[in-house]
Amino acid sequence: MNAVAEGVPVRLEGVTKRFGAVLAVDSVDLHVPPGKLVTLLGPSGCGKTTTLRLVAGLERPTAGRVWIADEDVTDLPAARRGVTMVFQSYALFPHLTVFENVAYGLRVQRLPAAEVRRRVMEALELVGLPETAERYPAQLSGGQQQRVALARALVMQPRVLLFDEPLSNLDAKLRRRVRAEIRMLQQRLGITSLYVTHDQAEALALSDVVVVMNQGRVEQVGIPEEVYRRPRTRFVADFIGEANLLPATFWEGAVEVASYRFPVEQEEVRDGPVTVMVRPEAVVVSQDASGLPGVVRTVFFMGMTTELLVDTPAGEVLATQPYRADRRIVPGEQVRLRFEPAGVYLLPAEDGRG
Amino acid sequence: MARAVALPQTRWAAQPAVAAWAAATVLAAAALPWGRAGRDLGSWLWDSTGVVLASGSLLAAGVLLASFAVLLAGLWPAPERTRGVALAAFGACGMALSGLLLGVRGTPTGPAGVLAPLGFLTLTGFGLSSSGRWFVDPFLSAAVLWAAAFVALFILLPLASVVVASVWVDGRFTLEVVHRTLTSPAFLALDHPGTPHNELAVAAAVGLAVAVGTLVLGWYLRWSRRSLPAGGAAGLAAAALASLYLGFGAFRNSLLLAVVVGAVSTALGFAFALLSERSQLPTRRLLGTLSALPIITPPFVLGIAMLYLFGRRGFVTYRLLGVSTDVFFGPLGVAVAQVLAYTPIAYLVLVGVVRALDASLEEAAQTLGASPWHLVRTVIWPLARPGLANAFLLVAIESLADFANPIVVGGGKPFLATEVFFAIVGRYNPHEAATYGAVLLALTLTVFVFQQRWLGGAFYVTVTGRPTGARPQPLPLWLDWALSAVFVVWMVVVVLLYGSVFVGAVTRLWGFDYTFTLRHLQDLHPQGWQVLRTTVQLSAYAAVPSVVVGFLIGYLVNRVDFPGRRALEFSSMLSFATPGTVMGIGYVLAFNQGPLLLTGTELVIVLAFVFRNMPVAIRAAVAALEQIDRSLEEASTMLRAGASTTLRRVVAPLARSALLSGLVFAFVRAMTAVSQVIFLITPQHNLATTQILSYLEYGSQGRGAALASVLTLLLVTVVASLQALSRRLDPRTAQLGAG
Ligand SMILES: Nc1ncnc2c1ncn2[C@@H]1O[C@H](COP(=O)(O)OP(=O)(O)OP(=O)(O)O)[C@@H](O)[C@H]1O
Ligand SMILES: [Mg+2]
Repeated sequence: MNAVAEGVPVRLEGVTKRFGAVLAVDSVDLHVPPGKLVTLLGPSGCGKTTTLRLVAGLERPTAGRVWIADEDVTDLPAARRGVTMVFQSYALFPHLTVFENVAYGLRVQRLPAAEVRRRVMEALELVGLPETAERYPAQLSGGQQQRVALARALVMQPRVLLFDEPLSNLDAKLRRRVRAEIRMLQQRLGITSLYVTHDQAEALALSDVVVVMNQGRVEQVGIPEEVYRRPRTRFVADFIGEANLLPATFWEGAVEVASYRFPVEQEEVRDGPVTVMVRPEAVVVSQDASGLPGVVRTVFFMGMTTELLVDTPAGEVLATQPYRADRRIVPGEQVRLRFEPAGVYLLPAEDGRG
Repeated sequence: MARAVALPQTRWAAQPAVAAWAAATVLAAAALPWGRAGRDLGSWLWDSTGVVLASGSLLAAGVLLASFAVLLAGLWPAPERTRGVALAAFGACGMALSGLLLGVRGTPTGPAGVLAPLGFLTLTGFGLSSSGRWFVDPFLSAAVLWAAAFVALFILLPLASVVVASVWVDGRFTLEVVHRTLTSPAFLALDHPGTPHNELAVAAAVGLAVAVGTLVLGWYLRWSRRSLPAGGAAGLAAAALASLYLGFGAFRNSLLLAVVVGAVSTALGFAFALLSERSQLPTRRLLGTLSALPIITPPFVLGIAMLYLFGRRGFVTYRLLGVSTDVFFGPLGVAVAQVLAYTPIAYLVLVGVVRALDASLEEAAQTLGASPWHLVRTVIWPLARPGLANAFLLVAIESLADFANPIVVGGGKPFLATEVFFAIVGRYNPHEAATYGAVLLALTLTVFVFQQRWLGGAFYVTVTGRPTGARPQPLPLWLDWALSAVFVVWMVVVVLLYGSVFVGAVTRLWGFDYTFTLRHLQDLHPQGWQVLRTTVQLSAYAAVPSVVVGFLIGYLVNRVDFPGRRALEFSSMLSFATPGTVMGIGYVLAFNQGPLLLTGTELVIVLAFVFRNMPVAIRAAVAALEQIDRSLEEASTMLRAGASTTLRRVVAPLARSALLSGLVFAFVRAMTAVSQVIFLITPQHNLATTQILSYLEYGSQGRGAALASVLTLLLVTVVASLQALSRRLDPRTAQLGAG
């Protein structure tokens, strides 16, 4: 179980799912490369779970095909797709012990008792819970339950592993730890994984590839850094991390926000009106002569950083500043804002959706 | 270690279930007899196996061919979808051909005639599942077809037979029987020719008077716009009630009884519900026992008790009051017995209503200083109305369907449910019986549909533990005392009635000689005990299939999406709303000849029980499934378990408490059934309830009372042990909690 095997790819082609009048998934194309972890990220109700269930075989697409390992599995029932799933609610069987929960799938396959025992204990060791084997799920903590659910999925040696917001019932600290464990195991075992979450931090931290969804459609696909740095739409910019979206004009390699003009190096931008996305941490607040003028409205102390809300002629700007004891900014202060190029990206103006 | 990657099977490598079913189908179709020599289920005609028939009959050859085709399709290494389509097509062909073969032969069906169609049906289901047309587990798709077939055969066919038999006489369509029956004064006479006055005119006068009175009242209270429709409605209702009251005939008797018993039981049930929720007097504790009464009371117990206490030589009427009277023979006696029997049903419905009332009343009281009248109009009445209507309709259905009380204390007056019986047993006229049955069916179905549509209420009431929450406001003391007094009177009557049956069982000759004797109990030997044993046996045989079929249907209806789901749900609940006599005559008509000949066997009794009591299990299943998170089943599916494994290893263990109570109630209901089996029993397999009736008919009241007492005690024991058992089961499930 601990050897890295070559995983299998998963592909969705024009997959659409309707529930009556609701269009839950709208012609989604998706590719999960072998052995990689891809997250589906998006707001509540955007169709992430439905997409996952279409891959699992728990739902059947209204249109489109699903491929696993280059094989069309659209008509194949869930039980025969070689896929397992970790549920948001864990879905541990309350009437079975931890051991029996993990052994369930193996027993369904009628494997010999000795092999069942060996594989179950192996899986429980993998998630660090061998001593809980004889307990019932209700006697475990949330984090332990989640790891049992993971063991139950891993023991099947699935070709594809699906996660539906597996961490959403855990507290923030635990979430971080289990997240790291999931990532480590997934990489070690090389299992192709599709992971649903609405938490952008989780998606950025975990994934090889992030798929941002909105209203049943795919907005953008990319590695975490790319979707963070170079969002293609307003929606993506806004949904992933904090973003200031300011109206501006672009010409001759530079962009002008209100009276502040600065150079931007970005391919394929046409001259004319654009929307500038500026990450709050890329905003530099100073008393210099140059920059976008503004008046500080509010100041939030956040520990190592300070968040400022600044009113400018281009609109409200959120800025995150490293905390400095010697320099306190107070509401009402006149400041100048400059934007660092690493945190600036130009989007088409008035992008319809988002 | 390389990972053993489980590859999906788009090529159908191992489908042992398909192969096994196909092989069994071939075997059944070819080697087992298609016919029986007679009623006896074991009288297989070995010269009617498929192999023998095939030489002389094209149809039989076709069936054999279809079975081989199915087997080949099951083993053929083609892509899954192609095979699925082939399997479904050949399976459907096989079904159709088998049906034709059985129909053409027209003789009683042998084992092949059951197993082969069942095999074809199952394989059609498997085929549909893998054809890719229908995205559902093969087991479930087969189960949907089974459920549809069972419901069609054992619920819809008997009901349809009743309707058909009323208009299909001697091989042709005629409305003559219907017309003759419906116009006969025994059915309905609004104006009795023997009385000097015209009852209809009297009723019309009453209606007119009430209408005018309402108009005057409306004018006085300034209802303005609403007084005209109100007057009209009140007048019509009064006229209808008056003509019901003054009229004659079975229809009038049954309907009047249903209305009166419905109203009285609802009122009493509401009073008791108020008491149980809000009384401060100790009598409150006895209310729990009340709710179990209708379940464990065998039929005829109340009837016998009414005879004992209020009959011509009744203990109360003759011994204590010194009158020899017949007033309790007839609608009045039936009404009293029914009110006693059905008030607990109304009570169980209304406890929930009162509880809901309490919560919202408290809110209303907190938020605004509304006047009491305003509160009643805007909060209490709208909240209580659906519950009251629901209780009324449920009791009305029960009353219409009741057979036991009218036959014992009806004093020979005609009622719809008993006329069905007498038309067959006394007048040997199945068409007239069918007509009465169809009318009764129409009446209860109307009420049932109305209840389901507008009230969406549960058709059932189940015995539940009362949650101990904060006690709401107590009743005003005077009301508490008044209602408690009513309850105590009710309780005394009930205790007296039940007690008299037990005493009667050990009394030499009730009404004449009150000395103690064990003779009646001894006289139960051997016949009574024999009958009791048969009853327990058949009820036990029926209980397990009722629960299995009911649970499966409940699961399909609740969890699986398929065309006709609502229809399946409605039809399976239908058997519960249908009066037993109607179902009984339906079984007689449907299974009395041809390939479906089953009457005279134990099997037909068991089948009647199974499909009559299955709705109990459906309700239990649905209630249990609502508590089980769907993701548990999905998790099982993702761990590669098929639906049948999931049902067996996840759903059933989690629902075991509901399954158990479904099992016990199915058993108890079978033990107390009378009307649906009264036409199906034979001297060899008589049942306890019908035996009680025949003791009564032949004047051995003592023996009847003895058997009824034994039956009651038996049922009390069964229900009590269920409650003990589920108390033992429940804490564990509670402790394990939900995943
Ligand atoms: N079984 C169903 N029947 C009808 N509508 C459904 C069903 N399942 C999902 N939907 C609808 O489809 C849309 C997408 O649902 P989905 O569960 O995929 O969202 P999600 O992105 O997972 O949201 P969340 O983050 O809240 O879990 C929603 O509008 C939802 O109401
Ligand atoms: Mg979701």
